[in-house]
Amino acid sequence: MKKTWLFAAVATLALAAPAFAQQGIKIGLSGPFTGGSAAMGVSMRDGVKLAVQEINKAGGVLGKQIILVERDDEAKNELGVQIAQELINKENVVATVGFINTGVSLASQRFYQEAEIPVMNNVATGTLVTQQFKAPDHKANYVFRNAANDSIQSAMIAQTVKDKGFTKPAIIADSTNYGQLGRADLEKALAERGIKPVAVEKFNIGDTDMTAQALRAKEAGADVVLTYAIGPELAQTVNAVVKLGWKVPVMGSWTLSMASFIDAAGKNGEGVLMPQTFIQMPSTPKRKAFIEAYQAAYKVERIPSPVSAAQGYDSMLILAAAINQAKSTDGRKIREALENLSTKIEGVVTTYDKPFSATDHEAITANIPVLGTVKDGRVVPADPKDLEGEKALRVKPKA
Amino acid sequence: MQNFLQILVSGISVGMIYGVIAFGYQLTFATSKTLNFGQGEALTLGALVGFSVVTALIGMGASPLLAYLLSLPLVLAFGLAQGSAVEWLGVRQAMKTKSEAGWIMSTIALGIIFKNMAENIWGKDPLKFPSPLPENPISLGGVNIRPMEIAIVLGALAMMLAVELFNRRSIYGKAVVATSNDRDAAGLMGINTSLVITFSYALSSLSAALAGVLVAPVTLTGAQMGAALGLKAFAVAIIGGLSSGLGVVVGGLILGITESLTGFYVDTGYKDVPGLILLLLVLSFKPAGLFGKTAIKKV
Repeated sequence: MKKTWLFAAVATLALAAPAFAQQGIKIGLSGPFTGGSAAMGVSMRDGVKLAVQEINKAGGVLGKQIILVERDDEAKNELGVQIAQELINKENVVATVGFINTGVSLASQRFYQEAEIPVMNNVATGTLVTQQFKAPDHKANYVFRNAANDSIQSAMIAQTVKDKGFTKPAIIADSTNYGQLGRADLEKALAERGIKPVAVEKFNIGDTDMTAQALRAKEAGADVVLTYAIGPELAQTVNAVVKLGWKVPVMGSWTLSMASFIDAAGKNGEGVLMPQTFIQMPSTPKRKAFIEAYQAAYKVERIPSPVSAAQGYDSMLILAAAINQAKSTDGRKIREALENLSTKIEGVVTTYDKPFSATDHEAITANIPVLGTVKDGRVVPADPKDLEGEKALRVKPKA
Repeated sequence: MQNFLQILVSGISVGMIYGVIAFGYQLTFATSKTLNFGQGEALTLGALVGFSVVTALIGMGASPLLAYLLSLPLVLAFGLAQGSAVEWLGVRQAMKTKSEAGWIMSTIALGIIFKNMAENIWGKDPLKFPSPLPENPISLGGVNIRPMEIAIVLGALAMMLAVELFNRRSIYGKAVVATSNDRDAAGLMGINTSLVITFSYALSSLSAALAGVLVAPVTLTGAQMGAALGLKAFAVAIIGGLSSGLGVVVGGLILGITESLTGFYVDTGYKDVPGLILLLLVLSFKPAGLFGKTAIKKV
C-alpha cells in the first residue's frame, strides 16, 4: 500500500516537473548570500523575488510565469564563473540578474556575452563592468546595469570634499578589485578637482586592526577620510580612527550603508557620508509600497541593504518589460528591446524612461543618487531637502 | 615617539592573539608531535558559544561585563570538550596506526566540519559581540588604547601563565612534561600517556576558545573569523618554535609588531610581507624556530 502511494507521488512529480519547466521563463540570479557581502546579496535577492511575485501575480511575461534560478556565488570569482556556466548551459536561463561584487561580475559575464544572453548588474559598481564588451571592439554588449557606478560615486564624493572645503583627503581602501578600482576612480575624480590625497592606505579582507592605516592618514595631516571597502573592515577603520581620538569626517562609497558596518561600528559610525540611490523612506508612493511589501514579506523593520533591495527589484521590472517588448526569449531580441525600451517603468529608485541605448548601458546617472548619512543606526538623507517635493524623484536626463 | 608607542601597542595586542592560538599548537605538539589544524575553527566555536551565552545572559538582565565573566567558564569548558573530541575522533586512530599524515587530514577535516556546523547554527553573517568593557579609548601617556586591548593582553598572559604553572607545580602537570620529554619512557613509568595527549588537546582548544572570546569584542564574530587567525598563528608557531611555550608568545609578538610597524613606517599594502620573509629566514637558518630545541629524530 505504502509503495503504491510512493510510486504515485514520484510519478506525479516526474510528470509535473517538465510540464512546469515548459510553462515558465527561467531567469538566473547570482549573488553572495553568505559571507561578508551577504547582507547586500540577500537584500538584492529578496528585492528581485518581490518583483517576480508581483509580475507573476499579474500574469507573468509573455503569458508565462517567471522562474528564478538562484545561486550563491559567495562573492568568489571562481564560483561566479562556475555558476554562470551552469545557468547558461544547464539551466538555459533567458537572462541573469544580480552580481554584488565587481570582481565576480567581471569574471562571470564574459560567458553571458559569448552566449548572447543579457546580464543585468543590479548592485556591482565597478566602472569597468559595463565597458568590458563595449563597441567598437564588440558588435553588441550584453551587459547592462542599474546601479550607480564607481565613477558616479567617486565624482560625488570628490565634489562633496570640494564643496565642504576639505583640501587634504586620505583614502583608505581594501585590496580587492572593488577597493582598488574604486580608489583609482576616486583619485582621478579628486585630481579633476585639483585635489591630491595626502595619504593612500590599504588593508586586506579579514584584517582586524587598522591602527597603522588610520595613524598614517592622521600623521599626513588629512582633514577628511575617504573609504572604499565593505562593511566589517569599514567598521574596523572607523573604530581605529575613533580609538586614536582623531575627530575627522569619514566619507566613502555606498557600502558605508551596509548593516554590518552600521552594527559593528555602533556610535563610531554615526555621521559618515555616502552616495545612495535609495534610502528607506517613503518619499514617493512607489517607494512607500515597496518598503511596506518588503517589510511584510520578509518580516523585518530595517531592510539590511535598502539600496540592493531597491535595485534588485527594479532590475527585474526592467528585464520583464524588455522580454515583453521583445515578444521572445531570444537573448539578442531581449538586448535590442533593452536598448530601446518603449514603456516607461515606474521603479523604486527612479522612473525608467528609455534607460538604455545601444551605446549607453547605465540606467543610473550622476543626478540620481543623494548623499546619505548614518543617524541612530539608520541611513537617512544627509540633507532632508534632497528627497522632498520635486527632488524626490530624480530621473535620467534625456540623451 | 608617541606614534611609535601607539603602533607598538596595537602590534602587541594583535601579536598576543597570534601567540595564544600558537600556544595551543605548541601544547599538543609537545606531548604528541601532532597539531590541530582546526585550531582556527576552535577559536571560532569558542567565540560563537561565548556570543550565544553572553547575549542570552544580557537578555536576562545581566550587565555586559557580568555576562562576559559568567560566560567564561562555559566557554572554557566547551573548549576542553571540543579539544577532547578532536583528539578522540581525529588523532587517536592515526597515532595508533603510526600514520604520518593521517592526523593532518583528519584535523583539517574536523576543522571544516566545525566551520560548517557554525555556519548552520549561527548563520554566515558576522555578528557583533557585545563588548564587556567600555569601547571608548583610554589615554596612557598620549597613547590611546581600547580597554579591550588591555584585556586581550592580560587575559592571554594569565592563561599561559596558568598552564605553565600547572605543568611545573602539579603532579598532573609533571606527567604532561614527562610525556613531552619522552613518551615511551613516560609510559613505562606508569603514566597514562594517551590520557595526557587527550588532555593536551583539550587544553589547546581551551586556549583557542579563550582567544576567540578575547578578540570577538574588537572584531566581528562569525564562522569565518578563525581561518585567517589560525593561519597567522601557524606562522608564529614556526617562527617561535613548536617546542617552547615562551617561544610562541615571543613569536606572536614579533609577528604582530612587525606587521604594525611595517604598516605604519613602510606601506600598509606591504604589512604582511616582513612576517613571511621572517618565516622563510627562520625555516632556512633555524628550522626548529627561534626558541626551539633541535632534536635528532632517531628512526
